[in-house]
Amino acid sequence: MISAVIVINNQGKPRLTKFYNYTAVEQQQQIIRSIYSVLCLQPENVSNFIEGGSFLGPDSRLVYKLFATLYFVFVFDSSENELAMFDLIQVYVETLEKCFSNVCELDIVLNYSKMHTILDEMILGGQVVETNSEKIMQAVEEISKLEKETGATKLLSKSASLLWG
Amino acid sequence: MALSGMRGLSVFISDVRNCRNKEQERLRVDKELGNIRTRFKNEKVGNIGGREFAESLAPDVQKLLISSSCRPLVRKKAALCLLRLFRKNPDILNIDGWSDRMSQLLDERDLGVLTSSMSLFVALVSNNHEAYWSCLPKCVKVMERLARNQDIPQEYTYYGIPSPWLQVKTMRALQYFPTVEDPSIRRALFEVLQRILMGTDVVKNVNKNNASHAVLFEALALVMHLDSEKEMMSQCVALLGKFIAVREPNIRYLGLENMTRMLMVTDVHEIIKRHQAQIITSLKDPDISIRRRSLDLLYGMCDVSNAKDIVEELLQYLATADFAMREELALKAAILAEKFAPDLSWYVDVILQLIDKAGDFVSDDIWFRVVQFVTNNEDLQPYAALKAREYLDKPAIHETMVKVSAYLLGEYSHLLARRPGCSPKEIFGIIHEKLPTVSTPTIPILLTTYAKILMHSQPPDPELQNQIWAVYSKYESCIDAEIQQRAVEYFALSRKGEALMDILAEMPKFPERQSSLIKKAEDTEADTAELSAIKLRTQQQTSNALVLTDQRPANGAPQVSQLGMVMVPSTSNADQNAVDQRVTQSNGTLSVVDPQPLAQDHAPAGDILGDLLSPLAIEGPPGVSPQSEFNGVPSHEGSVGANDALALAPVGDQESTVKPIGDIAERFQALCLKDSGVLYEDPYVQIGIKAEWRGHQGRMVLFLGNKNTAPLDSVQAVILPPSHLKLDISLVPEIIPPRAQVQCPLEVVNLRPSRDVAVLDFSYKFGTHLVNNKLRLPAVLNKFLQPIQVSAEEFFPQWRSLPGPPLKLQEVVRGVRPMPLGEMANLFNSLKLMVCPGLDPNPCNLVASTTFYSENTRAMLCLIRIETDPADRTQLRMTVASGDPTLTFELKEFIKENLVSIPTAGKPPAPVAQQPQPNNQPIASSDPGALLAGLL
Repeated sequence: MISAVIVINNQGKPRLTKFYNYTAVEQQQQIIRSIYSVLCLQPENVSNFIEGGSFLGPDSRLVYKLFATLYFVFVFDSSENELAMFDLIQVYVETLEKCFSNVCELDIVLNYSKMHTILDEMILGGQVVETNSEKIMQAVEEISKLEKETGATKLLSKSASLLWG
Repeated sequence: MALSGMRGLSVFISDVRNCRNKEQERLRVDKELGNIRTRFKNEKVGNIGGREFAESLAPDVQKLLISSSCRPLVRKKAALCLLRLFRKNPDILNIDGWSDRMSQLLDERDLGVLTSSMSLFVALVSNNHEAYWSCLPKCVKVMERLARNQDIPQEYTYYGIPSPWLQVKTMRALQYFPTVEDPSIRRALFEVLQRILMGTDVVKNVNKNNASHAVLFEALALVMHLDSEKEMMSQCVALLGKFIAVREPNIRYLGLENMTRMLMVTDVHEIIKRHQAQIITSLKDPDISIRRRSLDLLYGMCDVSNAKDIVEELLQYLATADFAMREELALKAAILAEKFAPDLSWYVDVILQLIDKAGDFVSDDIWFRVVQFVTNNEDLQPYAALKAREYLDKPAIHETMVKVSAYLLGEYSHLLARRPGCSPKEIFGIIHEKLPTVSTPTIPILLTTYAKILMHSQPPDPELQNQIWAVYSKYESCIDAEIQQRAVEYFALSRKGEALMDILAEMPKFPERQSSLIKKAEDTEADTAELSAIKLRTQQQTSNALVLTDQRPANGAPQVSQLGMVMVPSTSNADQNAVDQRVTQSNGTLSVVDPQPLAQDHAPAGDILGDLLSPLAIEGPPGVSPQSEFNGVPSHEGSVGANDALALAPVGDQESTVKPIGDIAERFQALCLKDSGVLYEDPYVQIGIKAEWRGHQGRMVLFLGNKNTAPLDSVQAVILPPSHLKLDISLVPEIIPPRAQVQCPLEVVNLRPSRDVAVLDFSYKFGTHLVNNKLRLPAVLNKFLQPIQVSAEEFFPQWRSLPGPPLKLQEVVRGVRPMPLGEMANLFNSLKLMVCPGLDPNPCNLVASTTFYSENTRAMLCLIRIETDPADRTQLRMTVASGDPTLTFELKEFIKENLVSIPTAGKPPAPVAQQPQPNNQPIASSDPGALLAGLL
């Protein structure tokens, strides 16, 4: 099971955090800090797996991938295949790429909720739902269409209330 | 335009309007609700539901999952929702016919739905595979479909590989079945596996490589699990052997990990051994994750045939290994040397080399073990002694080496007597050279060695005797109780002449027992890589704390008869083990140097344990004494002020000139009554404290301030908590920058009533000075009190309902510090014992009430009555009642301490010290602080 998905920039600022088990906010911050402190010391050309026993609890591993300024980190237990998780990061980033075309850190900061929507279409409750980035994009587009529609509804009700109130 | 967003709604409304009767209307509304549900429920249910929720909703979600009319998007989420519900309540899927449905689900063509269903299936079979045998062929079918790339939509191939995630999941699921029996299915599966094993090549594209190897590693795991024909197994090892040599670090890492896993499952030792050279190379990999893996693998594959090579390799690597790994390396090398030693002299060589190369990382267990071996094997003794002698010739040796060689030479140097440079005098000379360089815990070992050398020098050599006697008389007045006691005792013993032979005879053999090292390794076998220094250190910390609390009863017992009942040392399993270990360790030497005859029968437990092989006890007394005295000798309080100040002064007083500013004991007393203030101060450091208490919990913040313009180095703050407090300190930074203040929050939980005090072991380095202080933390009993006003109607029924001991205790207290009743009331109020005026008709009496909070007792009302004698203010009668016997006793003692003691400890201790304390005297004299006070 995947227990957390975290995106941190190379300054240690978390850009996206998603925990699939209940974790208190303080603990989340503690975890992010310790992950960053490990990541920023990783030299180049080493493996992308880190055993997390000492700071993430027993039987937890961490796989990370560095894209430009961002670390994408998945935390999971031994029931998952490391390389498969590694690939999943790639799928996530490829999907982001499709969504934002030439994705950069700023896109992620500005489209925070979209990041979550995409992630939710990929991983649900710590399990992989969909690995096909086309399908993920389809679902995401549907949702954003729905969002736009509800936005229109809101606009309407407001003007209506102005008219009648 | 605006209406377009609500088309669904307007259609719904018009539909409802058009209904002809109520029945139609309800049907339409139900349909709409159904629409809404399918869209949203799956995602939400799993996240918020509890057990009952799961029960009532599971059938609906199941229907959604199975229904072929639902959209794949909904069904996918239904599968994961069901998985989530199943985790909350496994019963929801333990129903008849579910396995058949599951089996149908695995026929699914849509790969998205199939992936989710497979996730659900993995969870189900991991729980109970028996019910799902019928699904096994389906899994193999899925694998066949994927491996042959049949009917795979383009968008589900990832870099040309058909959905690697689904392949991985399916093979995971198959690993939960013990075996595949049906021959045709088995054949089909192995054909697929063979295809994967053979067909995976290393390609240029990194992502493709990763995906294909993800599948490959899972296939390897499955082959290992199914323990197939040897042919395929060796093929796997060959593949792994290739992987551990590739450039891609991820693959190297996984290759090593899987090889280690392979060692555990099957008998492929010999094939793996062929790759030994490559694995040893990985030990020098730039990636620490890989180094750890290869260390694990080497450790796992070691046996008698290759132990020499591997251990030597580890020893060589030790010199350059990173600090994070050295301790683990040292431990592993020691264990392998012990387990697979082709001969024992090699074992001794290895351990001595280990100490020589990485003394800092060799835990005491390791050298204890080598001593045990040498003691139990007579053939080994001359060899070990000779080796120890050789190491002593080196110009600079580690302190652990001094310990072990002094011990070995003390016992066995007489076996070398004929060799050049090995006469008792020369041996003494070379060991004594090291004495000025060693720390306090090592000196007692050296003193014992001298006694043994003296005994072995027959005929007696008067010159040597004089030299050794000079050493003993030098240490006769040492501040360290252990050293002092040994010096005094050995001096007296060595004058006995012949009798010395009996008392200082050779160590008897140790009883054979499992190596504590191996036990330690087994305990952490689950995560072998995690046997880190941090972990070991925390283990040691807890055992330290245990010694502290464990000694308490022994010291306090003479004064307070009820103590036995109250001071139940914690008896959790781990603690028990630790005690056992200490005790067995001490057994061996007790028979040799029995401190009993000289140290008199009141020697505290710490001294009895203080034999050679019990380092904690050796280190124990300085840290323990202030505490045990504080708790155990309440009526001796007058001199405590002075003793505390002495005993709390830095342990290595000789080597540091840093003197605390202000009286530590006084600061502590003040902090017991208020929640913020300064705990400790010296010219370099100030430690402030701020606390908040709520019920049985508290939060303290330690403020560590560097007063100087230079940074403070090697700052360490370790808390030695008594058994009744749970204390968590966050990490203290090792360096405090100039003029900076560091905050360390500290959570405190009170488990049960006790007067024991937590100790903060604080040390830092300033320049070359190592300053170490043991400070009591003001997390004392009254911090967990909450004053409460009780009316007469509440008080008396409560008072009467607690009939007598052990819930209600009465005691006449003598030697009370005389004070007017008003001052006493103030004192009570400041201790959070609320004085309730008017409850007792007698104006000379005082009634107080309070609530005590701890995890065991919860909130518990305590009632106190003090009857004073206007004629004699130095005595009073005190009655304490509560619903818990321990609490009653502890609270009574606590109040007594405060009434008898002088909380503002500014006064000279002399007048109180004069109080007749006949039965306390012997105890006090065994305490280093008191001893010193006596000497002064």
